[in-house]
Amino acid sequence: MSERIGFYICHCGINIAYRVRVAEVAAYASTFPGVVVARDYLFMCSDPGQELIEKDIKSFDLTRVVVASCSPRMHEKTFRAACGRAGLNPYHAFHMVCVREHGSWVTENEDEATEKARVIVRAGLKRVSFQDALIPSQFSVNSNTLIVGGGIAGMQAAIDIASAGFKAYLVEKAPTVGGHMLQYDKAFPTLDCTACIGTPKMVAVGQDKNIELRSYAEVEHVSGFVGNFQVTINNKARYIKTNCTGCGDCAKVCPVEFPNEWDVNTKMRKAIYLSFPQAVPVRYVIDKKSTAPCRISCPAGTNVQGYVQMVKTGNYQQALNIIMERLPLPGVLGRVCPHPCEADCRRAQVDSAVSIRDLKRFAADRGRLEDVPMPVVEEIDKKIAVIGSGPVGLTVAYYLRRKGFKISIFESMEKPGGMLRTGIPDYRLPPSILDQEINHILSKGVELKTGVALGRDFTLAGLKEQGFDAVFLGIGAHVPVKMNIEHEDAEGVVDAVLFLKKENLERAGSAKKRVVIIGGGNVAMDAARVAVRSGAQSVSVVYRRTEKEMPADHEEIEGAKEEGIEFITLTGPKKVVTENGKVVGIECIKNELGPADAGGRRRPVPVEGSEYVIACDMIIPAIGQSVETAPVIKDAPFELTAWGTFKVDPDTMQTSVPGVFAAGDAVTGPATVVEAVAGGHKVVTAIERYLKGQMDLFEAERKEEAPVSVEPDYVPIPENAGAVARARASFMAPQSRTSTFDEVDLGLSEAAAQGDAAKCLNCGGCCECKLCVDTCKAKAIDHDIKDEREIVDVGSIIIATGFDPLDPTPMSQYGYGKYTNVFTNLEFERLSNATGPTLGKLLKRDLNDRLKFTEPPKSVAILHCIGSRDINYHEYCSRTCCMYALKYAHLIKDKCGHHTEVYNFYIDMRCFGKGYEEFYKKVQSEGVRMIRGKVGSIKEGPNGMLTVVAEDTLSGRMLAIDVEMAILCTAMEARTNAPDVMRKFGIGIGADGFFQEEHPKLAPVSTPSSGVFLAGACQGPKDIPDTVAQAKGAAAECMALSAKGIVEVPPMISWIDPDVCVGCQVCIGLCPYTAIEFDDFNRISVVNSAVCKGCGSCAGHCPSGAAKVRHFKDQQIFAEIDGLLLN
Amino acid sequence: MSEFEPKIVGFFCNWCTFTAADLAGTSRLSYPHNIKIIRMMCSGMVDPKYVIKAFLNGADGVLIGGCWPGDCHYINGNLKARRRVAMLTEILKEYGIDEKRFWLRWIAASEGTMLREVVNDMTAKLKELGPSPLNREALGEKSEKAKMIG
Repeated sequence: MSERIGFYICHCGINIAYRVRVAEVAAYASTFPGVVVARDYLFMCSDPGQELIEKDIKSFDLTRVVVASCSPRMHEKTFRAACGRAGLNPYHAFHMVCVREHGSWVTENEDEATEKARVIVRAGLKRVSFQDALIPSQFSVNSNTLIVGGGIAGMQAAIDIASAGFKAYLVEKAPTVGGHMLQYDKAFPTLDCTACIGTPKMVAVGQDKNIELRSYAEVEHVSGFVGNFQVTINNKARYIKTNCTGCGDCAKVCPVEFPNEWDVNTKMRKAIYLSFPQAVPVRYVIDKKSTAPCRISCPAGTNVQGYVQMVKTGNYQQALNIIMERLPLPGVLGRVCPHPCEADCRRAQVDSAVSIRDLKRFAADRGRLEDVPMPVVEEIDKKIAVIGSGPVGLTVAYYLRRKGFKISIFESMEKPGGMLRTGIPDYRLPPSILDQEINHILSKGVELKTGVALGRDFTLAGLKEQGFDAVFLGIGAHVPVKMNIEHEDAEGVVDAVLFLKKENLERAGSAKKRVVIIGGGNVAMDAARVAVRSGAQSVSVVYRRTEKEMPADHEEIEGAKEEGIEFITLTGPKKVVTENGKVVGIECIKNELGPADAGGRRRPVPVEGSEYVIACDMIIPAIGQSVETAPVIKDAPFELTAWGTFKVDPDTMQTSVPGVFAAGDAVTGPATVVEAVAGGHKVVTAIERYLKGQMDLFEAERKEEAPVSVEPDYVPIPENAGAVARARASFMAPQSRTSTFDEVDLGLSEAAAQGDAAKCLNCGGCCECKLCVDTCKAKAIDHDIKDEREIVDVGSIIIATGFDPLDPTPMSQYGYGKYTNVFTNLEFERLSNATGPTLGKLLKRDLNDRLKFTEPPKSVAILHCIGSRDINYHEYCSRTCCMYALKYAHLIKDKCGHHTEVYNFYIDMRCFGKGYEEFYKKVQSEGVRMIRGKVGSIKEGPNGMLTVVAEDTLSGRMLAIDVEMAILCTAMEARTNAPDVMRKFGIGIGADGFFQEEHPKLAPVSTPSSGVFLAGACQGPKDIPDTVAQAKGAAAECMALSAKGIVEVPPMISWIDPDVCVGCQVCIGLCPYTAIEFDDFNRISVVNSAVCKGCGSCAGHCPSGAAKVRHFKDQQIFAEIDGLLLN
Repeated sequence: MSEFEPKIVGFFCNWCTFTAADLAGTSRLSYPHNIKIIRMMCSGMVDPKYVIKAFLNGADGVLIGGCWPGDCHYINGNLKARRRVAMLTEILKEYGIDEKRFWLRWIAASEGTMLREVVNDMTAKLKELGPSPLNREALGEKSEKAKMIG
């Protein structure tokens, strides 16, 4: 059957006809093969226009119809429906070409526009004959609606949907619903209180059975299609369970404060908080960020931020309790820890790191060990032998004891403490502190046997016989490493470990007159400083690199220098010079720094011929220690590393002998106390699992994928954080130090400690001091709650994500953020609001403290159009500012007294809504001064007075007006995350950044994504009445879908011709929706039409041409190309 | 002799560039009439043979318009278009079609002004470049290549 085509070109009033000679195009079309009727008509989309087509189809027996008019995105549906009504399959019969948006409106020349229209029409006429009949598929509609955003738009839509009997999921990112409207004070023009009209809505969404409120939650992912969406919602952890009563006891004890976002930072809140008293749900939330860097960098994982906050608030006992969660020896580590935490402290970006170690010592000095609570646990009938009572042994003993195990410590020396006692000099670590802390551990039921050595007095086998279920080896590294130079066994050469042990335990005074120390580590510094105290007259430290490369702590090097110790760097020992077998000097050689070694340190290279002798009576090498493994390995087959340390599994810390664990220096070689404690914690976990038969947990953890490292999300550094000098501990005067072993570092004063703790930025948000947990009577707080994801099925979606107020800081001419009494509109709203920082009083800020408010202003300038109608920011009008500016003027007159001068600087007054113009008149009559002119600049005088400069464009005069307060009426702008939301929901963004509605007039709440609707200011600036109206519109759209229950999905989807497909399966990999499956029996790929969305990824690639998108088939596109290019 | 008017075929994705063309229209941003638009659902469905067909039919330029990477309505169709265009450009060069005649541009629905700029730019460049070797209409029978292929 030959085709009978009808052609229609629309004048669109004059929109098309003013450029395109429509009659000429119709005449051209009539000459086209198959065209039986060609007409031009004033409004094709009108009823008579559509009837014209319908009538022609019947009377001319048309098979195809081409309409040339506006964009098919506008009226394709209209004409398809007309064809359908006349009995044709619209997909078969109808094609639309665009001669308005792509023709008359973009072409200036009439001839060119007409020619372009002719070509486009030709392409359409060629294409239409190749079109196929298609039937849209129908799907059922899930009657639930998802609403994103809990502002007034979202709340209203949810209430409407719920009252129609459908279910609404209302997802709000903030901890409370309410949105911007609830931050405001009064609503223009009626001046009703927003809380009075807004809180009932909040309560309704919190209580309605048909509304599932998900506050503090975000939509993560959306899949599916209209009527059948699957939405993944991430319910962020609040750390507060639903039984929270909102009493606020927790906030009273919380030590951490941040600016309250709800009050636009005009007021502080705690880390555990309720945004404002009427929040819905009335449920607190804890503000947690990424774990603070200090806590991460502590090898033992101590909650540094927690105890620093406790010191700040003077709760020293709780500080000590927090420290004792991870460190069994707080006073020891408060003195000797090399504090890697301080290196990572973010406060250093402002001034200097918080003095964390000194604060730990302060807490340990002030808190009482006896009051540190032990967890209430049942005694476990398992015995563990801990060999060695150094820091690692004490850690293992204490924390396993806390879990209820029975512990016995075996120590080879007479007193416990290991290297802490023998290696660390008393002026750094007084023995009384060590004794006190060890005694505390022992007092918890830990048994200690001293003077017994493994391999000498007992064996591992013996321990087993005694009924020990597990053994821990923490024997340390006490054997000196040799220098390997001539005469190093001469009298007068004493290794540092032995020297320190002798002096620490016996106070032998064994130093000779002239002492040379070899080495640059902490042990070398200790030996040097002890030598000074043990009778040496001169002490020199010989080190082979420069001072910069010395591994010793900076404090130790400085302390040594203060005590008169000489540093000889870039020098290495060559041989010991002796006379009669006694030391008289050491021959050294000068070094220079060569290339860096694998560790990045530059290797010292000896300078030939630079040898010289340093005269001395005593040489103390301090170049390292090794582990005394010999007595142990004869007992059991322990494997050792190349370094002579015990080989352990890095996760379980188990040695090659089952049931025997090791950590500390015996595994790592000489290291720090805190590293030993860290190893001890790993052993505690391992032994507990070993004894409970849970070692497979390690295997499971090993298999877990390493978490993807994401950029840490810390609390931002406050812009107003001023530099504060680092707290300095007081020290004993250097001259009095050399004669005594008394402690040099005298610690911080209380004021200095609290002041330094106050410097902490609380990088991690909540400091996890857990005071709130103890204080909560409802037991509603759980710091271990995790984010929870849920998937909900919905049929329709409303986006009501609102707007962001523009940040005027970059507009330096207005001095926002710099001048004390320049406010934004939102800040002013919070001032005026009864729940704000001033409880509703309009007060000026204190010049010295932005968080303090003093007295009412006597004069105020209100600046309109800040960032709106401004080519540098937003060209659009924000539509609300004129009105709220008038409201502010009224409120100022009302609250501060009629004598207060109020100046409104406007460009044009836009009072377009119902009752708005009347409100304008009323405010004018109250004596508010209206000045037509945009403010050029604000300057602050020394007394905080602001000078506002503007041109009065009505009188043509320049004005400079002094006021005490200025309010910037900032623009409403699209949310910064609008592009993310756009992608998630497949909608569009307009040039202004707001979400694009499907049609500016006729589909103002629809989007190009079927089933996704818009409401409120996310679509463009609007006031509350418009927002509510739009929300009701969007709700109506959703209810229409839900009520109908059936939706038609366009049939333009892919199809794979089974006769052509060769089964290469390339399309399967390309399909973004996994809509193509392979039919194994027929060896071909098959499209699942319920899942396919018709993107054509398969068709664009299919090498055999089997995959095609219906309505976009090759013949159809080829015909269009032919039409465009060939006559 | 009148100035050479290049013929440009635009394959525009329905969600971004086609909508941008609509926006250019409603914003009355005029641009050269040389471009004629074919509506595709996605730049990723533009089969290479459509482009070849356009050039064989004498098009002086082909412009594929899609959403910005990451903004594709169909997740990643535009990235498939990008890969395909890279390959096709090389093939077209082998047949004497200058790569300056074959453009792929990301133009979002809100970028009506960008659409105008691209069309302005492309038309001007093609005018400089002269007719495609396959544009028999403009070259008459002068083009050896046209004869060979035709």
